[in-house]
Amino acid sequence: MLDFFQSVSDGVLFGATYALIGIGFTLVFGVMHKLNMAYAAASVGGAYAGLLVLKVMSAAPPVLVFLGAFAAGGVLGWLVYLTCFHFIPLSSPLATLMSTVGMLLLIDEIIVHVTEGMPQNYPAMFDDVMLRAGDFTMRGDLLLVFGVAVLCMVALMLLLYRTRLGLATRAVSQQPVAARLCGIRLEQVNATTFIITGLLGGIAGALIGASVGTLSPLLTTPLTVKGLIVTVIGGLGSVPGAIVAGLLVGGFENVLQLYRGVTERDLYVMLLLFVFLTFRPDGIFAPKGGRD
Amino acid sequence: MDFYFGLVQIIGVHTLLGLSAYIVLLTGQVSLAQAGFFAVGAYAAGMLTVLAGWHLVPALGASAVCGAGVACAVGFPALRIKGLMLVIATLAFGEGVRLFFFNFDYQVARGDIKVGPLGGEGFRQIRFFPEHGWTTGEVMLFIWVFVVAAMALLWWFDRSRYGSVLRAVGEDELAAQSVGINLTAVKVSAMTVGGAIAGVGGGIYAHYTTHIEHTSFNILLATFAIAYPIVGGLRNVFGTLLAVIFVQAFLIEGLRFLGDWRNLLFGALIVLAMNLRPSGFLGARRRA
Repeated sequence: MLDFFQSVSDGVLFGATYALIGIGFTLVFGVMHKLNMAYAAASVGGAYAGLLVLKVMSAAPPVLVFLGAFAAGGVLGWLVYLTCFHFIPLSSPLATLMSTVGMLLLIDEIIVHVTEGMPQNYPAMFDDVMLRAGDFTMRGDLLLVFGVAVLCMVALMLLLYRTRLGLATRAVSQQPVAARLCGIRLEQVNATTFIITGLLGGIAGALIGASVGTLSPLLTTPLTVKGLIVTVIGGLGSVPGAIVAGLLVGGFENVLQLYRGVTERDLYVMLLLFVFLTFRPDGIFAPKGGRD
Repeated sequence: MDFYFGLVQIIGVHTLLGLSAYIVLLTGQVSLAQAGFFAVGAYAAGMLTVLAGWHLVPALGASAVCGAGVACAVGFPALRIKGLMLVIATLAFGEGVRLFFFNFDYQVARGDIKVGPLGGEGFRQIRFFPEHGWTTGEVMLFIWVFVVAAMALLWWFDRSRYGSVLRAVGEDELAAQSVGINLTAVKVSAMTVGGAIAGVGGGIYAHYTTHIEHTSFNILLATFAIAYPIVGGLRNVFGTLLAVIFVQAFLIEGLRFLGDWRNLLFGALIVLAMNLRPSGFLGARRRA
């Protein structure tokens, strides 16, 4: 029984990173009604770019690496917007889907090319801290992951619901035409959304690197799939949904890893998705239907 | 010469894969499950020829039926949702199939060796072509019989009432529904035909590589499948063929002299192609 609670708590803590990736997918979907398949790859790319800080200053504390990943994620987000969305007309949804897939492959290959395919060690913080309650433990680095992720989510919620930029973003996601008539610059809001999700992605990538200990390009595909599953389970376009679903998927997969082993684990996550698609296709927090 | 025959074989199999995504795309649905149907066909045909000792042609028929059956079964729940949700659901299904074969063991002793699928190690010794003494050229011709048949079938669909119905659903679901088209029937039938074509493609693939494993059927293959018709355009089946030749012959083989840089160029060229020609090489058909 203790094993069960232990793996649930570890999984939920790690699930915070899935939640962050899911938020990125969901925000872009909410604003543009497009899928950005390159998002998880860009997040891992941002985390890799954070390692450049260590190249420049080999004694840099991990915080600087995290900040580097944060900034690089934002830049990558903007680049993805420019190459895959800005010049392609809104009326060709297939073209943007394909171009972001192309971008996914490109980022993956750049990573493989630069690192020569070798996994890179990632600096961790508080990995020697361990909270104990009898046999029940909580890893310090996972707690940090969870804490930073929660902080990011709170910041994002404040940004969305307390600032003019957030108001504009929500307006565009509800009624792009009406928003434009009110003088909101659509392109600017779209680009900003990509930068914000990119920043979140960079942090998520760094957190994943820190809690796993290494970064490898093999991370991008599972992260893309998990992020998308989290997005669907939470409800496309719903930020709170993505958070809850991320934690749920994290806990769920860790429990199944305990009972069924690591090779079968992801199979059950797919099954969970299909259960949701069949019985609750709009996700946990389906956004209320718009007027159109 | 065998090298070129081999290349033409690869182009043939990938054309089948692309065509299976093409018919689904005609209805406006993006399915990333084609690699999954391809895997089902590959394992089904391989097991039938190796373990049950069937001839290849009936085995390919069986793999078409398996691919179609699975596609139909996936189609019903998955097509209740549309657009981007479907992309995600089919992506997850494709990964699910791959993970299933990653955990799938079914080995039978044949003489002193064991044959059959073995989880992560894959399925070795699918030696139908060498055992029956087929040359590379003959295998190539055999593959292209199926490719031409699939292209002719889809060409005929496009010319028939069924093709118009498919495109009507793809252009505007609401309008199609309002003239009495049963959306579910159209979408599930397109998915089923696509699944059958992918199943045949997978069956052939298993036999010319002689060794299949779960990693061959990953997301990359699924993206290749939808990339061909999207890059080639949905005007007709030749767009898909053109895109397969562009990707397999030019991007993958033609740029081999670039070494490592080839892979980098691949993603960049897809991004560039989509920016320059958002509706594919041959463009979508516009009716007045």
